[in-house]
Amino acid sequence: MDFANTPSFFRQGPRPLVRLISCATLSVALLVADSRYGLMEPAREALSVVLYPLQWAVNAPVSGVRDLSSFFTTQSELQQENAKLRTAALSNAAQLGRLATVERELTELKALAQIASSRTDVAAQAEVLYTGRDAFTYKLIIDRGTNAGLKGGMPVLDGHGLLGQITRVQPLTAEVTLVVDKNQMVPVMIERTGQRAILYGYGGGVELRYMPIHADIKEGDRLVTSGIDSVFPPGVPVAQVGKVDRNAGAAFARVACIPYAGVQSSRYVLVVSEKSMPPAPAPAQPVVPLDAKAAKAAAKAAKKGEGKDAKTKSTAKAATPASGPR
Amino acid sequence: MERPQELLKPVKRRLIYLTFALALIVELVPLPVGSVRWLPDFVGMLILYWVLNQPSRVGIGTAFLLGLIADVATAGLFGQHALAYTITAYLVLLRQRQLVMFNLGVQAIVVLGLLQVNQLIMVIARMATGSAFVGWSFFLPPLVGALLWPLLTNLLVLPYRQRSL
Repeated sequence: MDFANTPSFFRQGPRPLVRLISCATLSVALLVADSRYGLMEPAREALSVVLYPLQWAVNAPVSGVRDLSSFFTTQSELQQENAKLRTAALSNAAQLGRLATVERELTELKALAQIASSRTDVAAQAEVLYTGRDAFTYKLIIDRGTNAGLKGGMPVLDGHGLLGQITRVQPLTAEVTLVVDKNQMVPVMIERTGQRAILYGYGGGVELRYMPIHADIKEGDRLVTSGIDSVFPPGVPVAQVGKVDRNAGAAFARVACIPYAGVQSSRYVLVVSEKSMPPAPAPAQPVVPLDAKAAKAAAKAAKKGEGKDAKTKSTAKAATPASGPR
Repeated sequence: MERPQELLKPVKRRLIYLTFALALIVELVPLPVGSVRWLPDFVGMLILYWVLNQPSRVGIGTAFLLGLIADVATAGLFGQHALAYTITAYLVLLRQRQLVMFNLGVQAIVVLGLLQVNQLIMVIARMATGSAFVGWSFFLPPLVGALLWPLLTNLLVLPYRQRSL
Protein backbone atom coordinates (compact mmCIF):
# COMPACT_ATOMS: atom_id res chain seq x y z
CA MET A 1 0.00 0.00 0.00
CA ASP A 2 2.59 2.50 -1.05
CA PHE A 3 1.58 6.04 -1.72
CA ALA A 4 2.19 6.85 -5.33
CA ASN A 5 4.15 9.98 -4.62
CA THR A 6 6.16 8.84 -1.68
CA PRO A 7 9.77 8.80 -2.78
CA SER A 8 10.82 5.25 -2.18
CA PHE A 9 14.39 6.21 -1.29
CA PHE A 10 13.30 7.90 1.93
CA ARG A 11 13.18 5.45 4.75
CA GLN A 12 9.94 6.15 6.49
CA GLY A 13 9.87 3.33 8.94
CA PRO A 14 7.48 0.42 8.60
CA ARG A 15 4.73 0.62 6.05
CA PRO A 16 1.27 1.71 7.23
CA LEU A 17 -0.26 -1.74 6.93
CA VAL A 18 2.46 -3.23 9.10
CA ARG A 19 1.91 -0.48 11.63
CA LEU A 20 -1.82 -1.00 11.52
CA ILE A 21 -1.53 -4.70 12.10
CA SER A 22 0.93 -4.34 14.94
CA CYS A 23 -1.04 -1.59 16.67
CA ALA A 24 -4.38 -3.32 16.18
CA THR A 25 -3.00 -6.60 17.47
CA LEU A 26 -1.55 -4.81 20.44
CA SER A 27 -4.82 -3.09 21.27
CA VAL A 28 -6.81 -6.29 20.88
CA ALA A 29 -4.30 -7.96 23.19
CA LEU A 30 -4.77 -5.11 25.66
CA LEU A 31 -8.54 -5.42 25.39
CA VAL A 32 -8.42 -9.11 26.17
CA ALA A 33 -5.86 -8.64 28.92
CA ASP A 34 -7.99 -5.94 30.53
CA SER A 35 -11.41 -7.48 30.22
CA ARG A 36 -10.57 -11.12 30.80
CA TYR A 37 -7.62 -11.07 33.15
CA GLY A 38 -7.58 -7.54 34.59
CA LEU A 39 -3.86 -7.33 33.87
CA MET A 40 -3.84 -3.69 32.89
CA GLU A 41 -4.57 -2.17 36.28
CA PRO A 42 -0.95 -1.11 36.96
CA ALA A 43 -0.69 0.49 33.50
CA ARG A 44 -4.00 2.23 34.02
CA GLU A 45 -2.82 3.50 37.37
CA ALA A 46 0.42 4.82 35.88
CA LEU A 47 -1.41 6.55 33.04
CA SER A 48 -3.95 8.04 35.42
CA VAL A 49 -1.07 9.55 37.39
CA VAL A 50 0.11 11.16 34.17
CA LEU A 51 -3.41 12.40 33.52
CA TYR A 52 -3.88 13.79 37.00
CA PRO A 53 -2.47 17.28 36.30
CA LEU A 54 -4.88 17.60 33.39
CA GLN A 55 -7.73 16.45 35.56
CA TRP A 56 -6.75 18.90 38.25
CA ALA A 57 -6.47 21.73 35.72
CA VAL A 58 -9.93 20.96 34.44
CA ASN A 59 -11.53 20.65 37.81
CA ALA A 60 -9.84 23.63 39.42
CA PRO A 61 -12.04 26.29 37.78
CA VAL A 62 -15.18 24.28 38.44
CA SER A 63 -14.43 23.75 42.10
CA GLY A 64 -13.31 27.38 42.34
CA VAL A 65 -16.66 28.58 41.06
CA ARG A 66 -18.41 26.24 43.44
CA ASP A 67 -16.40 27.57 46.38
CA LEU A 68 -17.12 31.11 45.35
CA SER A 69 -20.85 30.51 45.09
CA SER A 70 -20.91 28.81 48.46
CA PHE A 71 -19.05 31.80 49.90
CA PHE A 72 -21.80 34.10 48.73
CA THR A 73 -24.67 32.07 50.15
CA THR A 74 -27.31 34.45 51.36
CA GLN A 75 -28.04 35.03 55.00
CA SER A 76 -31.70 34.04 54.66
CA GLU A 77 -30.75 30.78 53.04
CA LEU A 78 -28.44 30.02 55.92
CA GLN A 79 -31.11 30.89 58.44
CA GLN A 80 -33.65 28.75 56.68
CA GLU A 81 -31.29 25.86 56.57
CA ASN A 82 -30.38 26.35 60.19
CA ALA A 83 -34.02 26.25 61.26
CA LYS A 84 -34.64 23.18 59.18
CA LEU A 85 -31.64 21.42 60.65
CA ARG A 86 -32.71 22.33 64.14
CA THR A 87 -36.14 20.78 63.64
CA ALA A 88 -34.50 17.75 62.15
CA ALA A 89 -32.19 17.47 65.15
CA LEU A 90 -35.17 17.72 67.52
CA SER A 91 -37.14 15.03 65.81
CA ASN A 92 -34.02 12.89 65.61
CA ALA A 93 -33.43 13.29 69.33
CA ALA A 94 -36.99 12.22 70.07
CA GLN A 95 -36.59 9.23 67.82
CA LEU A 96 -33.27 8.38 69.40
CA GLY A 97 -34.80 8.46 72.85
CA ARG A 98 -37.51 6.10 71.75
CA LEU A 99 -34.93 3.86 70.19
CA ALA A 100 -32.87 3.76 73.38
CA THR A 101 -35.95 2.72 75.36
CA VAL A 102 -36.81 0.04 72.88
CA GLU A 103 -33.25 -1.22 72.90
CA ARG A 104 -33.19 -1.45 76.68
CA GLU A 105 -36.46 -3.35 76.63
CA LEU A 106 -35.06 -5.65 74.02
CA THR A 107 -31.97 -6.53 76.04
CA GLU A 108 -34.15 -7.08 79.10
CA LEU A 109 -36.48 -9.36 77.18
CA LYS A 110 -33.58 -11.23 75.65
CA ALA A 111 -32.07 -11.92 79.08
CA LEU A 112 -35.48 -13.03 80.33
CA ALA A 113 -36.07 -15.25 77.35
CA GLN A 114 -32.74 -16.93 77.93
CA ILE A 115 -33.64 -17.63 81.55
CA ALA A 116 -37.16 -18.71 80.64
CA SER A 117 -35.86 -21.21 78.12
CA SER A 118 -33.35 -22.66 80.55
CA ARG A 119 -35.87 -23.10 83.37
CA THR A 120 -38.55 -25.72 83.45
CA ASP A 121 -40.60 -24.15 86.19
CA VAL A 122 -41.65 -20.90 84.57
CA ALA A 123 -45.24 -20.08 85.39
CA ALA A 124 -45.65 -16.86 83.47
CA GLN A 125 -43.86 -14.00 81.88
CA ALA A 126 -45.29 -10.67 82.86
CA GLU A 127 -44.88 -6.97 82.34
CA VAL A 128 -44.73 -4.51 85.18
CA LEU A 129 -47.82 -2.33 85.11
CA TYR A 130 -46.89 0.14 87.81
CA THR A 131 -45.16 0.34 91.12
CA GLY A 132 -47.18 0.51 94.30
CA ARG A 133 -48.16 3.99 95.32
CA ASP A 134 -47.33 3.39 98.96
CA ALA A 135 -44.02 5.05 99.70
CA PHE A 136 -43.25 2.77 102.63
CA THR A 137 -43.46 -0.52 100.86
CA TYR A 138 -41.67 -1.74 97.75
CA LYS A 139 -44.18 -3.45 95.57
CA LEU A 140 -44.84 -3.90 91.89
CA ILE A 141 -48.05 -4.70 90.11
CA ILE A 142 -47.68 -7.09 87.17
CA ASP A 143 -50.15 -7.80 84.41
CA ARG A 144 -50.78 -11.47 85.16
CA GLY A 145 -52.97 -12.84 87.89
CA THR A 146 -54.98 -15.91 88.60
CA ASN A 147 -55.83 -16.01 84.93
CA ALA A 148 -52.26 -17.08 84.28
CA GLY A 149 -52.23 -19.51 87.15
CA LEU A 150 -50.26 -17.33 89.53
CA LYS A 151 -50.47 -18.04 93.23
CA GLY A 152 -49.31 -16.17 96.24
CA GLY A 153 -45.78 -17.02 97.24
CA MET A 154 -44.41 -17.62 93.79
CA PRO A 155 -40.90 -16.22 93.31
CA VAL A 156 -40.41 -13.53 90.68
CA LEU A 157 -37.18 -13.14 88.70
CA ASP A 158 -35.88 -10.78 86.11
CA GLY A 159 -32.98 -11.09 83.73
CA HIS A 160 -30.38 -10.55 86.44
CA GLY A 161 -31.66 -12.29 89.51
CA LEU A 162 -34.34 -12.63 92.11
CA LEU A 163 -36.77 -9.74 92.19
CA GLY A 164 -39.24 -10.69 94.88
CA GLN A 165 -42.24 -12.79 95.65
CA ILE A 166 -45.91 -12.62 94.78
CA THR A 167 -47.85 -11.60 97.84
CA ARG A 168 -51.30 -10.94 96.50
CA VAL A 169 -53.10 -12.21 93.43
CA GLN A 170 -56.04 -10.62 91.71
CA PRO A 171 -57.82 -12.09 88.70
CA LEU A 172 -55.84 -10.09 86.18
CA THR A 173 -52.98 -8.63 88.16
CA ALA A 174 -50.65 -9.64 90.92
CA GLU A 175 -48.67 -7.78 93.51
CA VAL A 176 -44.97 -8.51 93.85
CA THR A 177 -43.18 -7.66 97.05
CA LEU A 178 -39.60 -6.84 96.20
CA VAL A 179 -36.63 -8.24 98.07
CA VAL A 180 -35.84 -4.76 99.34
CA ASP A 181 -39.20 -4.46 101.08
CA LYS A 182 -39.07 -4.20 104.83
CA ASN A 183 -40.64 -7.51 105.69
CA GLN A 184 -39.15 -9.58 102.91
CA MET A 185 -36.69 -12.33 103.80
CA VAL A 186 -34.83 -14.63 101.46
CA PRO A 187 -32.85 -17.65 102.57
CA VAL A 188 -29.54 -17.36 100.75
CA MET A 189 -26.20 -19.04 100.54
CA ILE A 190 -22.82 -17.45 100.05
CA GLU A 191 -21.85 -19.00 96.76
CA ARG A 192 -18.15 -19.08 97.54
CA THR A 193 -18.33 -20.85 100.86
CA GLY A 194 -21.75 -22.40 100.86
CA GLN A 195 -22.59 -20.80 104.19
CA ARG A 196 -26.29 -20.18 104.63
CA ALA A 197 -27.81 -16.97 105.85
CA ILE A 198 -30.98 -14.98 105.62
CA LEU A 199 -31.19 -11.84 103.56
CA TYR A 200 -33.44 -9.21 105.04
CA GLY A 201 -34.96 -6.34 103.17
CA TYR A 202 -35.02 -3.17 105.19
CA GLY A 203 -36.99 -0.90 102.95
CA GLY A 204 -34.88 0.27 100.05
CA GLY A 205 -32.04 -2.21 100.42
CA VAL A 206 -31.01 -5.63 101.61
CA GLU A 207 -28.62 -6.82 104.28
CA LEU A 208 -27.49 -10.02 105.92
CA ARG A 209 -28.26 -10.14 109.58
CA TYR A 210 -26.97 -12.31 112.35
CA MET A 211 -23.71 -13.10 110.65
CA PRO A 212 -21.03 -13.97 113.20
CA ILE A 213 -18.27 -11.39 113.39
CA HIS A 214 -15.66 -13.79 112.10
CA ALA A 215 -17.83 -15.29 109.37
CA ASP A 216 -15.97 -15.88 106.11
CA ILE A 217 -17.61 -13.23 104.03
CA LYS A 218 -16.10 -10.43 102.06
CA GLU A 219 -16.99 -7.72 99.66
CA GLY A 220 -18.03 -8.96 96.22
CA ASP A 221 -19.34 -12.35 97.33
CA ARG A 222 -22.38 -13.56 95.45
CA LEU A 223 -25.47 -14.53 97.39
CA VAL A 224 -27.73 -17.09 95.74
CA THR A 225 -30.93 -18.64 96.97
CA SER A 226 -30.20 -21.74 98.99
CA GLY A 227 -33.38 -23.56 98.07
CA ILE A 228 -33.96 -25.05 101.47
CA ASP A 229 -37.15 -23.14 102.08
CA SER A 230 -39.52 -24.80 99.60
CA VAL A 231 -40.31 -21.42 98.11
CA PHE A 232 -37.36 -20.16 96.10
CA PRO A 233 -35.66 -22.36 93.54
CA PRO A 234 -32.01 -22.91 94.45
CA GLY A 235 -29.16 -21.08 92.79
CA VAL A 236 -30.87 -17.88 91.71
CA PRO A 237 -28.53 -14.93 92.19
CA VAL A 238 -29.99 -12.48 94.67
CA ALA A 239 -27.44 -9.95 95.79
CA GLN A 240 -23.81 -9.07 95.98
CA VAL A 241 -22.11 -8.37 99.26
CA GLY A 242 -21.32 -4.70 99.46
CA LYS A 243 -19.69 -3.52 102.65
CA VAL A 244 -18.84 -5.78 105.58
CA ASP A 245 -18.71 -3.84 108.81
CA ARG A 246 -17.18 -5.83 111.66
CA ASN A 247 -17.65 -3.80 114.79
CA ALA A 248 -15.85 -5.32 117.75
CA GLY A 249 -18.53 -3.98 120.11
CA ALA A 250 -21.41 -5.72 118.35
CA ALA A 251 -22.26 -9.39 118.34
CA PHE A 252 -22.86 -9.59 114.61
CA ALA A 253 -21.28 -8.16 111.53
CA ARG A 254 -23.25 -5.70 109.49
CA VAL A 255 -23.28 -6.85 105.89
CA ALA A 256 -24.86 -4.48 103.40
CA CYS A 257 -25.75 -6.02 100.07
CA ILE A 258 -26.75 -4.84 96.63
CA PRO A 259 -29.51 -6.76 94.87
CA TYR A 260 -28.71 -8.06 91.38
CA ALA A 261 -32.16 -7.72 89.97
CA GLY A 262 -33.14 -4.36 88.58
CA VAL A 263 -35.39 -3.88 91.54
CA GLN A 264 -36.53 -0.47 90.51
CA SER A 265 -35.84 -0.68 86.82
CA SER A 266 -36.94 -3.90 85.18
CA ARG A 267 -40.02 -3.86 83.00
CA TYR A 268 -40.41 -7.52 82.26
CA VAL A 269 -40.38 -10.21 84.88
CA LEU A 270 -40.59 -13.94 85.08
CA VAL A 271 -42.80 -15.72 87.60
CA VAL A 272 -41.63 -19.20 88.48
CA SER A 273 -43.57 -21.77 90.39
CA GLU A 274 -42.65 -22.53 93.94
CA LYS A 275 -40.02 -25.15 94.46
CA SER A 276 -41.64 -28.55 94.40
CA MET A 277 -41.10 -30.55 97.51
CA PRO A 278 -40.42 -34.24 97.34
CA PRO A 279 -43.70 -36.09 97.91
CA ALA A 280 -44.35 -36.76 101.55
CA PRO A 281 -43.87 -40.41 102.51
CA ALA A 282 -47.12 -42.37 102.81
CA PRO A 283 -48.35 -42.67 106.37
CA ALA A 284 -47.34 -45.98 107.94
CA GLN A 285 -49.91 -48.79 107.54
CA PRO A 286 -51.66 -49.80 110.72
CA VAL A 287 -50.43 -53.19 111.88
CA VAL A 288 -52.92 -55.85 110.81
CA PRO A 289 -53.72 -58.60 113.34
CA LEU A 290 -52.47 -61.90 112.01
CA ASP A 291 -55.41 -64.25 112.35
CA ALA A 292 -56.44 -66.33 109.39
CA LYS A 293 -59.82 -64.82 108.87
CA ALA A 294 -58.54 -61.38 108.88
CA ALA A 295 -55.73 -62.50 106.63
CA LYS A 296 -58.16 -64.03 104.17
CA ALA A 297 -60.30 -60.95 104.20
CA ALA A 298 -57.22 -58.88 103.76
CA ALA A 299 -56.08 -61.01 100.84
CA LYS A 300 -59.49 -60.71 99.26
CA ALA A 301 -59.49 -57.04 99.78
CA ALA A 302 -56.00 -56.87 98.40
CA LYS A 303 -57.01 -58.88 95.33
CA LYS A 304 -59.97 -56.66 94.74
CA GLY A 305 -57.91 -53.64 95.45
CA GLU A 306 -55.18 -54.82 93.07
CA GLY A 307 -57.50 -54.52 90.12
CA LYS A 308 -58.56 -51.16 91.30
CA ASP A 309 -54.99 -50.30 92.04
CA ALA A 310 -53.90 -51.31 88.59
CA LYS A 311 -56.52 -49.06 87.18
CA THR A 312 -55.58 -46.17 89.37
CA LYS A 313 -51.94 -46.87 88.72
CA SER A 314 -52.40 -46.60 85.01
CA THR A 315 -54.29 -43.37 85.39
CA ALA A 316 -51.64 -42.18 87.75
CA LYS A 317 -48.99 -43.11 85.19
CA ALA A 318 -50.80 -41.11 82.59
CA ALA A 319 -51.06 -38.25 84.98
CA THR A 320 -47.50 -38.29 86.26
CA PRO A 321 -45.69 -37.11 83.10
CA ALA A 322 -47.78 -33.97 83.13
CA SER A 323 -47.01 -33.21 86.72
CA GLY A 324 -43.60 -34.86 86.71
CA PRO A 325 -41.40 -31.98 85.47
CA ARG A 326 -42.79 -29.71 88.15
CA MET B 1 -16.73 25.40 -2.26
CA GLU B 2 -13.35 24.64 -3.71
CA ARG B 3 -10.71 24.91 -1.11
CA PRO B 4 -8.26 27.71 -1.82
CA GLN B 5 -4.76 26.43 -2.22
CA GLU B 6 -3.36 28.99 0.11
CA LEU B 7 0.16 29.04 1.41
CA LEU B 8 0.32 28.30 5.07
CA LYS B 9 3.12 28.60 7.56
CA PRO B 10 4.62 25.28 8.57
CA VAL B 11 2.77 23.61 11.39
CA LYS B 12 4.61 23.46 14.68
CA ARG B 13 4.73 20.25 16.64
CA ARG B 14 3.78 22.21 19.74
CA LEU B 15 0.39 23.09 18.30
CA ILE B 16 -0.40 19.48 17.62
CA TYR B 17 0.36 18.52 21.19
CA LEU B 18 -1.60 21.47 22.48
CA THR B 19 -4.70 20.55 20.51
CA PHE B 20 -4.56 16.98 21.73
CA ALA B 21 -4.16 18.20 25.29
CA LEU B 22 -7.20 20.44 24.85
CA ALA B 23 -9.23 17.59 23.45
CA LEU B 24 -8.29 15.38 26.39
CA ILE B 25 -9.25 18.19 28.77
CA VAL B 26 -12.65 18.34 27.13
CA GLU B 27 -12.97 14.61 27.82
CA LEU B 28 -12.14 15.25 31.45
CA VAL B 29 -14.39 18.25 32.07
CA PRO B 30 -17.09 17.28 34.56
CA LEU B 31 -19.99 17.92 32.22
CA PRO B 32 -23.60 17.15 32.99
CA VAL B 33 -24.39 13.49 32.49
CA GLY B 34 -26.73 13.92 29.53
CA SER B 35 -24.14 15.72 27.38
CA VAL B 36 -22.26 12.48 26.73
CA ARG B 37 -25.11 11.44 24.48
CA TRP B 38 -24.39 14.07 21.86
CA LEU B 39 -20.92 15.43 22.54
CA PRO B 40 -18.57 14.23 19.77
CA ASP B 41 -15.30 12.47 20.41
CA PHE B 42 -12.91 15.39 20.06
CA VAL B 43 -9.77 13.28 20.37
CA GLY B 44 -10.96 11.09 17.53
CA MET B 45 -11.77 14.10 15.37
CA LEU B 46 -8.38 15.67 16.02
CA ILE B 47 -6.60 12.46 15.14
CA LEU B 48 -8.52 12.37 11.87
CA TYR B 49 -7.66 16.01 11.24
CA TRP B 50 -3.95 15.71 11.88
CA VAL B 51 -3.57 12.41 10.05
CA LEU B 52 -5.34 14.01 7.13
CA ASN B 53 -3.29 17.20 7.14
CA GLN B 54 0.03 16.15 8.65
CA PRO B 55 0.44 12.48 7.80
CA SER B 56 4.19 12.67 8.26
CA ARG B 57 3.82 13.88 11.86
CA VAL B 58 0.74 12.10 13.12
CA GLY B 59 0.28 8.52 12.10
CA ILE B 60 -0.97 5.20 13.34
CA GLY B 61 1.44 5.07 16.27
CA THR B 62 0.28 8.43 17.61
CA ALA B 63 -3.32 7.41 17.18
CA PHE B 64 -2.64 4.26 19.16
CA LEU B 65 -0.95 6.13 22.03
CA LEU B 66 -3.70 8.74 22.19
CA GLY B 67 -6.23 5.95 22.17
CA LEU B 68 -4.59 4.47 25.25
CA ILE B 69 -4.71 7.82 27.03
CA ALA B 70 -8.34 8.28 26.00
CA ASP B 71 -9.10 4.85 27.40
CA VAL B 72 -7.82 5.87 30.77
CA ALA B 73 -9.46 9.28 30.63
CA THR B 74 -12.87 7.88 29.80
CA ALA B 75 -12.48 4.97 32.20
CA GLY B 76 -13.34 2.62 29.37
CA LEU B 77 -11.88 -0.74 28.58
CA PHE B 78 -8.15 -0.64 28.00
CA GLY B 79 -7.55 -0.73 24.24
CA GLN B 80 -10.97 0.03 22.82
CA HIS B 81 -10.19 3.61 21.81
CA ALA B 82 -6.70 2.56 20.77
CA LEU B 83 -8.06 -0.06 18.40
CA ALA B 84 -10.66 2.29 16.93
CA TYR B 85 -8.25 5.19 16.43
CA THR B 86 -5.61 2.92 14.92
CA ILE B 87 -7.99 1.55 12.33
CA THR B 88 -9.52 4.91 11.37
CA ALA B 89 -6.07 6.48 11.13
CA TYR B 90 -5.07 3.73 8.76
CA LEU B 91 -8.21 4.22 6.70
CA VAL B 92 -7.42 7.93 6.38
CA LEU B 93 -3.82 7.21 5.44
CA LEU B 94 -4.98 4.88 2.64
CA ARG B 95 -6.66 7.71 0.77
CA GLN B 96 -4.98 10.70 2.38
CA ARG B 97 -3.88 12.34 -0.89
CA GLN B 98 -7.42 12.14 -2.21
CA LEU B 99 -9.17 13.29 0.92
CA VAL B 100 -7.01 16.38 1.33
CA MET B 101 -8.21 17.61 -2.03
CA PHE B 102 -11.90 17.33 -1.17
CA ASN B 103 -13.81 20.39 -0.08
CA LEU B 104 -14.97 20.62 3.51
CA GLY B 105 -18.50 19.35 2.84
CA VAL B 106 -17.31 16.12 1.29
CA GLN B 107 -14.65 15.79 3.94
CA ALA B 108 -17.34 16.13 6.60
CA ILE B 109 -19.26 13.25 5.06
CA VAL B 110 -16.12 11.11 5.02
CA VAL B 111 -15.40 12.11 8.59
CA LEU B 112 -18.94 11.10 9.55
CA GLY B 113 -18.28 7.67 8.13
CA LEU B 114 -14.93 7.36 9.90
CA LEU B 115 -16.34 8.48 13.24
CA GLN B 116 -19.14 5.96 12.86
CA VAL B 117 -16.49 3.32 12.20
CA ASN B 118 -14.88 4.43 15.47
CA GLN B 119 -18.13 4.00 17.35
CA LEU B 120 -18.83 0.70 15.67
CA ILE B 121 -15.43 -0.70 16.63
CA MET B 122 -15.94 0.38 20.21
CA VAL B 123 -19.39 -1.15 20.35
CA ILE B 124 -18.07 -4.39 18.95
CA ALA B 125 -15.16 -4.38 21.39
CA ARG B 126 -17.47 -3.79 24.35
CA MET B 127 -20.04 -6.32 23.27
CA ALA B 128 -17.37 -8.91 22.59
CA THR B 129 -16.13 -8.47 26.15
CA GLY B 130 -19.56 -8.94 27.61
CA SER B 131 -21.25 -5.55 27.85
CA ALA B 132 -24.84 -4.96 26.78
CA PHE B 133 -25.72 -2.88 23.72
CA VAL B 134 -26.11 0.74 24.80
CA GLY B 135 -28.71 1.76 22.23
CA TRP B 136 -28.66 3.55 18.90
CA SER B 137 -28.10 6.94 20.50
CA PHE B 138 -24.48 5.84 20.76
CA PHE B 139 -24.18 6.64 17.04
CA LEU B 140 -25.47 10.21 17.41
CA PRO B 141 -22.20 11.96 18.44
CA PRO B 142 -20.51 11.36 15.04
CA LEU B 143 -23.30 13.38 13.37
CA VAL B 144 -22.55 16.33 15.61
CA GLY B 145 -18.86 15.78 15.00
CA ALA B 146 -19.34 15.86 11.21
CA LEU B 147 -21.32 19.08 11.50
CA LEU B 148 -18.49 20.59 13.52
CA TRP B 149 -15.81 19.45 11.07
CA PRO B 150 -15.69 22.59 8.87
CA LEU B 151 -15.55 24.74 11.97
CA LEU B 152 -12.71 22.68 13.40
CA THR B 153 -10.74 22.83 10.19
CA ASN B 154 -11.08 26.59 9.87
CA LEU B 155 -10.18 27.04 13.50
CA LEU B 156 -7.02 24.97 13.25
CA VAL B 157 -5.89 26.64 10.05
CA LEU B 158 -6.24 30.05 11.65
CA PRO B 159 -2.82 30.21 13.35
CA TYR B 160 -1.05 29.36 10.11
CA ARG B 161 -2.52 31.89 7.78
CA GLN B 162 -0.04 34.37 6.48
CA ARG B 163 -0.38 37.68 8.23
CA SER B 164 -0.56 39.48 4.91
CA LEU B 165 -3.84 37.81 4.02
